[in-house]
Amino acid sequence: MSLLDLKLKVNGKEYRVKVRPHKRLLDVLRDDLHLTGTKEGCGIGECGACTVIMDGRAVNSCLVLAASAEGKEIYTIEGLEQDGKLHPLQEAFMRHNALQCGFCTPGMIMSAKALLDKNPHPTREEIKEAISGNLCRCTGYRQIIEAIEEVSESASKGARE
Amino acid sequence: MEKIQLKINGRLYSVKVNPNWTLLKVLRQILGLTGTKCGCATGDCGACKVLVNGEAVKSCTLLARKAQGKEIVTIEGLSRGGELHPVQRAFIETGAVQCGFCTPGMIIAAKALLDKNPNPSREEICEALQDNLCRCTGYVKIIEAVELAAAWLKGGTNGASGECATGGQVVGKGRPLRDAVDKVTGRTVYMADMRLPGMLYGRVLFSPVAHARIKRIDVSKAEALPGVRAVVTYKDSPRVPYNSALRFKGHDIPHDEYIFDDTVRYLGDRVAAVAADDPETAEKALRLIEVEYEELPAVFDPEEALKPEAPPVHEGGNLIKKLEAAAGDVERALDGADYVFTDRIKLPIVTHVALEPHASLAQFDAAAGKLTVWSANQNIFATRIILSEIFGLSVNKVRVIKPPVGGAFGGKLEAILEPVAALLSLKSGKPVLVEMKRRDIMVSTRTRHSAVYYLKTGVKKDGTIVGQDITAYFNTGAYASSALNVPSAMMDKAFRLYRIPNLRVTVYPVYTNCPVAGAMRGYGSPQLMAAREIHLDKVARKLGLDPVEFRRRNLVRPGDINPRFGTSLGNCRVLDCLEKGAERFGWEAKSRQPKGGRFRRGIGVAAGNHGNGTFGVHVDMTTVALKMNEDGTLTMFTGTQDLGQGSTTMMCMVVAQVLGLSPDQIEVVEADTELTPWDLGTYASRGVWVSGNAALKAAQSIRRQLIEVAASMLGVKEEDLELGGGFAYCRHSPDKKVSLQDIVVAAQLSKEGSREIRAYESFASVAGPNSYGVHFAEVEVDTETGEVKVLNYVAVHDVGRAINPLLVEGQIEGGIQMGLGYGLTEELILDKRSGKVINATLKGYKLFRAKDMPRVEVLLVEEGESPGPFGAKSIGEAATVPVAPAVVNAVADALGVEFDELPVTPQRILAKLRRTP
Repeated sequence: MSLLDLKLKVNGKEYRVKVRPHKRLLDVLRDDLHLTGTKEGCGIGECGACTVIMDGRAVNSCLVLAASAEGKEIYTIEGLEQDGKLHPLQEAFMRHNALQCGFCTPGMIMSAKALLDKNPHPTREEIKEAISGNLCRCTGYRQIIEAIEEVSESASKGARE
Repeated sequence: MEKIQLKINGRLYSVKVNPNWTLLKVLRQILGLTGTKCGCATGDCGACKVLVNGEAVKSCTLLARKAQGKEIVTIEGLSRGGELHPVQRAFIETGAVQCGFCTPGMIIAAKALLDKNPNPSREEICEALQDNLCRCTGYVKIIEAVELAAAWLKGGTNGASGECATGGQVVGKGRPLRDAVDKVTGRTVYMADMRLPGMLYGRVLFSPVAHARIKRIDVSKAEALPGVRAVVTYKDSPRVPYNSALRFKGHDIPHDEYIFDDTVRYLGDRVAAVAADDPETAEKALRLIEVEYEELPAVFDPEEALKPEAPPVHEGGNLIKKLEAAAGDVERALDGADYVFTDRIKLPIVTHVALEPHASLAQFDAAAGKLTVWSANQNIFATRIILSEIFGLSVNKVRVIKPPVGGAFGGKLEAILEPVAALLSLKSGKPVLVEMKRRDIMVSTRTRHSAVYYLKTGVKKDGTIVGQDITAYFNTGAYASSALNVPSAMMDKAFRLYRIPNLRVTVYPVYTNCPVAGAMRGYGSPQLMAAREIHLDKVARKLGLDPVEFRRRNLVRPGDINPRFGTSLGNCRVLDCLEKGAERFGWEAKSRQPKGGRFRRGIGVAAGNHGNGTFGVHVDMTTVALKMNEDGTLTMFTGTQDLGQGSTTMMCMVVAQVLGLSPDQIEVVEADTELTPWDLGTYASRGVWVSGNAALKAAQSIRRQLIEVAASMLGVKEEDLELGGGFAYCRHSPDKKVSLQDIVVAAQLSKEGSREIRAYESFASVAGPNSYGVHFAEVEVDTETGEVKVLNYVAVHDVGRAINPLLVEGQIEGGIQMGLGYGLTEELILDKRSGKVINATLKGYKLFRAKDMPRVEVLLVEEGESPGPFGAKSIGEAATVPVAPAVVNAVADALGVEFDELPVTPQRILAKLRRTP
């Protein structure tokens, strides 16, 4: 089988990879780029652990063919940290104990980020809606929602100041 | 790139290769067949041999594209369906496997031979293995293995034997290394076989000048090369000095080394390092680093370096610290002696040549602030301290793990590559594997201290030694490293071999612009014994005394008192070694052989001693943890570094003996600073003496717990119970018994207080006796060429008790190979003007090969040494101590000349002969 020569832009960096045509974005991220922060929980788009942001939208990377991601801006959990400083969402998740086993956390945070990027002041219902595709079995979601709320509040405070 | 097809182990592989890629590169890097090893990449070691159309070929010398259309068989292809090939089985059974790094190449060479010649003579076997180097075994057991495999193949058997699973006597019975099967099948994953996702390859740039300040260093071109991820120089190096030979926190030795410095102090000093996507890019980048040196005057001779006008290698002068040890009144004794004899003896720089090249893999996790380093290393806990201090990390944020090591001999005791790999990982944010080329290993790791000895011995007419004064100049090279430890250890040994009431040893450890000296098997003892045993042979000859008789009169006896400390020398059985060896060797008959003609035979004898741990010098402790599992098996956790010598095999045997198990029932978690308890390090021949004792102590604790639970289960008294065959049974009625698995489960599920049967025991050494050996050599010297052939060799060692005689023999035979080189062939030769090592290749540096080895006979004296485990004491280092003087004394005897410089090469022999009528 011939390999596709792909150019992918992930976390602001250009990568060139040679991949088989049917390879999923999730596989390329994990296997070829060694960005294993993105998790696979089901492989059929039901759990959201593999959520990444593609052109501003939260997508299940297990449902995206790598080839179709060419030319798009992709962000993974590894792209959130800036100069060794955690993203406010990451800080808030820790403060609120919004993570336990941590396996859903990267996808959860990416969904939350996609939401806040578009809608800095979501309602609780909008937050719930945004993470409705992300399953968590540890937390019962309350602390996750509160963490996201806190970031949105501080964002709105920042906006007011 | 060119697409080629290769048929390997019966399978067709299609690969894209560059025209200049070797078969070795394709096997290891592209196809992941890492059983084939790379020891030099220049065709000099044979570790990479594979079968090509039935011929054993060094795969580093064959281009991959030239191997098309040929039948290639690698070590992975020898054992099919889990069934070992008879050659592999024979290597295991005879104990021909130690570190295992040369093993795949050896086995391939042996198979190629036996396929063509099922009935080879010993000479034909040696010929077939001639370009396969081994540094552990002395080839003795490898040759035996090939002979055994030939016999099996002829007899149509494969040598598979049914071994009993549990119980019985374990200590004292030879058994192969616990990981021997992995080693003969190429499955052992050494440092260079490891891969991490996203891993980069690191390479180090070494100084081309002996002494200089770096005026300008420009790395911009290297950094701009695509694929380069990090370049580091002294500008990136933390300004934290360290000593690579640190042993424990707070160890008071000179800290004079940096990862990189703005001054280089020997030709081979570290200048910079690169991490890149692949090794080729990293090497290319090294060549793009521009360095301008402002050269400084250099000094290479330790005595020259002490002169006031000598250029200082470090601030504060070249003498590190004068060391002295004395007993009695040396001046008075020498004044009162019937005769006083003096000598000046010069010893060369030699090096370890472990077959596995040095390599370290570091991974710095910036988010966790944690550094993990995998390294072929003999002292993971000290390396952890060094790394934590250099990088300002807390100790629990540094993890050092030792994978299987392909031979070390002291050369991997010090932190050399680990800090470089860590710095590259810090800067690149990726895991970095740093590997060294053979040439650089020989120059830029560690060597044995070269030395100049001045000896003065006073004797009575009957040969009794009354006093001795020894002064030595130890060349430590450009950094202190073990400059104080090695001479101190050496001085200690001087007081423990002969009855010399008035003895003084003075050492001047000196900085020079030579390669750095450090730990090497024997740690000072080979230098002392080489100089003193050669000197004493001359003394004996001048007195008209037979060298054996002279030693008989002066050697220490069991229970003798150390004149320096007033303490007992323990059960020092060196005289037994002398007598047993002289008889087996046929010393008396041989000493009457006439000498003459072109080929002259001679015999030589030498005694030697080495320590058991570091008792009396500094801390000497190790901890062993044991956990019983639900099926009666055991897991052992030890920080001891097995280097292929078999320390963990020995520890399993000790534990198995105490618990009535088979060593196979013990799994070992080894040498990981995060998972295993603390250990001082694998050096100072402390394996049996300290780690063996720690294993014994932990096993005894497990035994007590098992018996306690079993007693309550069986309703009998604890003192009536024994362990054996996987059971606790009543001594008086053996049918009354309970299996270990039932005991463990009962303890776990007990309603009265469930417990885990486990032990975590520290053992700190309480005594430091020596191990002794006396060696006998017979040589034949060609007076026209100066060539020396070692014909016969008998080595007798006082080991207290051999826990595993097969491995003890292996240590001694390997020690002989190394010592014969020290006496006759091995020397790193420095160009006197530039300080450049001019023979830093395995072609130029002459190791003993299979064909060069004599017939070796090993005898053991097993009279027990308390408190060694089961009376056992060390052998690893002692084995190599008496070798060089024994063989040099034999050459001197053959020719009737005296030598005062090692190695005794054909050139030096011819020079002596020309001067002697």
